[in-house]
Amino acid sequence: MGQKKSEGKEVSRRAFLKTCGAAGLGAMAISFGVPTLLKAQPKPIKIGSIQPATGPLAVIGQGQRRGNQMAVDFINAKGGIKSLGGAKLELVLGDSETKSEVGRSEADRLIKEGAVVLVGAFESGTGMAVATLAEQRGLPFLVDVATLDDITQKGYKYTFRIFPTSTAFAQRGTDFIKEIMAAKKLSPKRAVVTYVGDAFGKTQGGFFIKHFKAANTGIEIVEEISYPLGIPDLSGEVAKIKAAKPDLLFPICRPGDSMILTRELYKQRVELLGIISPGSPGWYEPSVVRDLDKLALYVMDNVPWINPASPVYQEANKLFEQKYKAYLDTNTGWAYTGVLVIADALERAASIDPDKIVAAFKATNFKDHPMVGDAVQFAPNGDNKNATTAMVQVLPEADPLKRVKVVLPQKFAQAKLVFPAPQLWDRG
Amino acid sequence: MKRLYLLLGLLLLVLLLLPLVLDKYALGIFVMIFFYAYLGQSWNVLTGFTGHISLGHALYVGIGAYVSTFLAQKFGLSPWLGMLAGGVLATLVALSLGFLGFRFGLRGVYFVILTISCAEIARLVVSHIDAVGSFSGIFLDFKPGLANFQFRGNLPYYYISLGFMVLGSLAVHLLARSRTGRLMVAIREDEQAALALGVNTFKYSMTTIGISAFMTSLAGTFYANYVYYLSPNSMFGMGLSIDLILRPIIGGLGTVLGPIIGSFVLTPLSEVSRAYFAKGGLEGMHLVLYGVLAILVVLFMRQGILVYIKRALKPLLKLED
Repeated sequence: MGQKKSEGKEVSRRAFLKTCGAAGLGAMAISFGVPTLLKAQPKPIKIGSIQPATGPLAVIGQGQRRGNQMAVDFINAKGGIKSLGGAKLELVLGDSETKSEVGRSEADRLIKEGAVVLVGAFESGTGMAVATLAEQRGLPFLVDVATLDDITQKGYKYTFRIFPTSTAFAQRGTDFIKEIMAAKKLSPKRAVVTYVGDAFGKTQGGFFIKHFKAANTGIEIVEEISYPLGIPDLSGEVAKIKAAKPDLLFPICRPGDSMILTRELYKQRVELLGIISPGSPGWYEPSVVRDLDKLALYVMDNVPWINPASPVYQEANKLFEQKYKAYLDTNTGWAYTGVLVIADALERAASIDPDKIVAAFKATNFKDHPMVGDAVQFAPNGDNKNATTAMVQVLPEADPLKRVKVVLPQKFAQAKLVFPAPQLWDRG
Repeated sequence: MKRLYLLLGLLLLVLLLLPLVLDKYALGIFVMIFFYAYLGQSWNVLTGFTGHISLGHALYVGIGAYVSTFLAQKFGLSPWLGMLAGGVLATLVALSLGFLGFRFGLRGVYFVILTISCAEIARLVVSHIDAVGSFSGIFLDFKPGLANFQFRGNLPYYYISLGFMVLGSLAVHLLARSRTGRLMVAIREDEQAALALGVNTFKYSMTTIGISAFMTSLAGTFYANYVYYLSPNSMFGMGLSIDLILRPIIGGLGTVLGPIIGSFVLTPLSEVSRAYFAKGGLEGMHLVLYGVLAILVVLFMRQGILVYIKRALKPLLKLED
């Protein structure tokens, strides 16, 4: 902070003389021809990152910033954007405070500060506000994480998304469940869906139920249970689950309620073949896996996870662990990928002209990313055609940080899936 | 007083010409200044003048935003007309809320609770109506055009919001000087005494809440067509209700210029400090600063900043009192 202040606008005589002196020395050095490189260095290319760094999603938002920043550092370490004379990338930070109008205003500020591409926004409302602004200003915007379908259904020319939509989540989740039952030769009849009653839970739950019912799986959703975010006790809800006698539980949670739910299922001894989340947080976070310990085991979650076999992932994850003591997960992984995709487009556009960047985005075929799924390619509406999810499962392992494993699809699998799972109280 | 009007006229002229030298981002900051000044003004009518404290004014913003957007999306009605429809609905809702509150003599915290709970009920109800997107909210289509209340640049938004602020303040100014306005203040100062003197406090309280709700709801339509995304939590939530009352409180409650001054202090403060601290990697520091300033003003400038500005300008403007 102190340092920052000394860079303020007030110029005292002494500072002025000092600067002049330094500039003189610098000029001398240049005229002697030593650091000619300095002159040749092109201006950095600014990428505006809008994430919810404060407010209810602050923890996630700051992780997203780190993901963006790590990729910027990675590109710069490899020599920047070569087609633009090795120009370095620079991340300019915006904070949406988890509010749409703040996100919009921040995006405008970042554009003013010279951002040529925007990336963000984690939360769909802000994503929408920024997408509209990008359209108004004629500047490309890459959605790194945000699921609501609407963002790419407005016919916007400047918005692209690498993350799967809610529809994609629902389809993949349903397909995986079918696949698991077929592989294990099981034909469960009854299932219960629970979802947390915030915008995310309600949408994700609604899409899944609609899709699952239409998919003719032979499994009937006998009960849909919704509860408010931040609920301290789920005993009533779990009693309802138990009364419905389901074979399967499909929960859509946030990190807090997933733990309450699992403990209550244990207490009330609800018999299940297994818990399979159609796609939600609350199951793969290190804190959840560690705190629930044995109770978290065998839970499956359908998420756009990292690809464990990818060398890009391995390199990035190592750095991420060193720097932030956390592993690259579905959100930070896509934040990282977002900037890589932008760098790739800039490289091919060889220009910072917005329309040329947009044209480059459209021609994207980006394979070297750390996530599951094939190369990033954009459909005409701006969605990533190959955005997909993996089924991860929490499996027994001494180190809690190593328990989350990809089990499906086979192509990316790190371990064999365990299903049906032992009952919660039968785990020693 | 003449000099004061002259000064205000000059300031208005400056604001009218300001876009000549401002970029889009700076224009955006001014849009937010005017927007919150107008919202604060609308709330000020009720709480500043009659003393009935509402902590649920987001309710009317939400109604304005949702009604005009719904009508535009379903029936293609121009938001300019939808805005009036939203205003009428907001007024009706406010009158029924006011009826409950004033008819049964709810005062102080009880009235506050009534306003909060009505806004919360609306938030929950809207969260479950699929026609308006339930929890996930409404994403507006971007169709630039004057009739659609949507524009590419920030300039039209600048003038519209400036117009809102100026006309809103003018209306409040005229109201404050009218007989009704004086009776409103009488209610604030001592409702029992006013009643004893034969003032129909119920009637004037109802009038005020109706005006306040109507004005507030217009801002909702503006917000919808500026941000392009509405969600029950952001439009009906407690956060907005509190955000919109901070400006008049900091500027000066129950005065026409208070909300404007409050907004000119708070809005740029939050924008500039957010940008500044983001660069230093101090996420959230701007919120701390914002909070500290609010506390300081409440502690040391109880009547708001306006009083101090007036005092400083007294010799120049030859103000009485």
